[in-house]
Amino acid sequence: MSAPVLEVQELSRRFGGLLALDQVSFAVQPGEIFGLIGPNGAGKTTLFNLISGVTPPSSGAVLWQGTPITGRPPDQLNRLGLARTFQNLRLFEGLSVLDNLLVALHHHPRSSALDGLLSSGRHRRAEHQRLDVAWQLLEELGLAELAERQAGTLAYGDRRRLEMARALATRPQLLLLDEPAAGLNPAEKEGLGQLIAGLRQRHQLTVLIIEHHVPLLMRLCDRLAVLDFGVRIALGSPDQVRQDPKVIEAYLGSGSNAAGDAP
Amino acid sequence: MIDNGLLVQMLIGALLGLSVYLPLAAGQLSLATPAFYAVGGTLAALLSTRWSALGATAAGTLPLGSFVLELVLGGLLAGLLALLVGRLVLRLQGIYLAIATIALVEIVRVAILNLPFTGGAVGIFAIPQPFSSASGYLVPALALLALAGWLCQRLEAMPLGRAMAAIRDDELAARCMGIDTTKVKLSAFVLSAVLAGSSGALAAHFLNTWNARQGSFDASITTLAFVVLGGSRSWLGPVLGGLLLTALPELLRPVGDVRLVLFGLVILLGPVLAPQGLITQALLERLGRWGEGKER
Repeated sequence: MSAPVLEVQELSRRFGGLLALDQVSFAVQPGEIFGLIGPNGAGKTTLFNLISGVTPPSSGAVLWQGTPITGRPPDQLNRLGLARTFQNLRLFEGLSVLDNLLVALHHHPRSSALDGLLSSGRHRRAEHQRLDVAWQLLEELGLAELAERQAGTLAYGDRRRLEMARALATRPQLLLLDEPAAGLNPAEKEGLGQLIAGLRQRHQLTVLIIEHHVPLLMRLCDRLAVLDFGVRIALGSPDQVRQDPKVIEAYLGSGSNAAGDAP
Repeated sequence: MIDNGLLVQMLIGALLGLSVYLPLAAGQLSLATPAFYAVGGTLAALLSTRWSALGATAAGTLPLGSFVLELVLGGLLAGLLALLVGRLVLRLQGIYLAIATIALVEIVRVAILNLPFTGGAVGIFAIPQPFSSASGYLVPALALLALAGWLCQRLEAMPLGRAMAAIRDDELAARCMGIDTTKVKLSAFVLSAVLAGSSGALAAHFLNTWNARQGSFDASITTLAFVVLGGSRSWLGPVLGGLLLTALPELLRPVGDVRLVLFGLVILLGPVLAPQGLITQALLERLGRWGEGKER
């Protein structure tokens, strides 16, 4: 097996007296869809924030294709090939849908400020290329008709897809999705699994996904890690995880109907 | 009622409005514009009165080329200062950045007041004139404003301008999209300073005298009011705000001291009646449609 895209080694994060994440380790292999589940407050979003550079870890290491990247700022990590979405949606709400993507495409291709000021041929070609990619992504995610709309005025499901499109526009190798199904209607949730699987294939992505909708993850993921109170309590294929007694006790069996939902 | 002298002042007001607007377009509330304005003006005053190579004559005239050189140098010095200071203060956010930039304005004011070569409280006077009358300054002031407006307009179609808009909406999201937010904010801050520095150099010659009072905390508030009244969603807003609010106290002169009360009322009521400023996105869109002839 080739080197993991992302490896997390004994990662911990303390907020005052609360140990939000306690020595969590796992590795994400190229091309896989890796799920993160766990009850509310298990530390999933904290883990995303540590990986994407939003919060520095208290201890432990994050490796990107074998190179340590712990503590690097989010913009550097994004340029390495790591993009994320946010659980609570952080679109550029005052900008149009199209501009949200153009912002994310600022590096693809690069053009100098001087070219931009003079509107040189190079700048116009770069803009043309950016627009092409942006429209492709809008088509792919079914947002093309909304291109001119202000992002803040979109329906919830459209915003979720726009956030994905925006993350994809930065050309990531690894896409971090934080609860992409939250707030979607049943039909949208149904389509989400296919959408993510399709995106992985077309963009040669590795996907790390947090989701509360367990049945979706069980169908979609190659492997899963389960967090509970900041500790990784299980790791493996959906079948292995489903049968893990610790998982059943801590999560699936704790009165929730998630186990019953699982196919 | 509006003579050429007031027109030049109004244009300088519009330039300073744009200088406040640029960092604000990247979500940064900087009140440092008067500091950079003072730096540019002081440099121009010093150079033209002390440096004989610029060709100032005993009759108080100055070659046009030297004047243009001073505009460039005033902008560069202010930009350099912004580069150094910006690395430090742009780590601060919101109101903290505003306070730090007010401190910068005060530091520059006190420095100019006390440095041995800036003329103390009296300042520098008899600054040589490149033009024989006030109307001569209309051309460089208009040219500078056109250049600044063009820059702001171009920015909107460039990655830098889009990154500024993104940071204004959500800085963390912008960082997660690979935008080097420190660099973008610094660029906006430096552009703002260059604009203020050049405007200061122009103003020093136009006013004929220059002293520490040119860049004060009062000016921070006035220039901010240009943007608040005009609107901060398009560069046309601060231009309009700068023009109007510079002209208003002069136009109200016939009513005597009440003019200051009226001026204050306008600043007070402006944000109440037009919270987004006079030039809003909706207005621009309507004008755009009207321009295309789709609306009757």
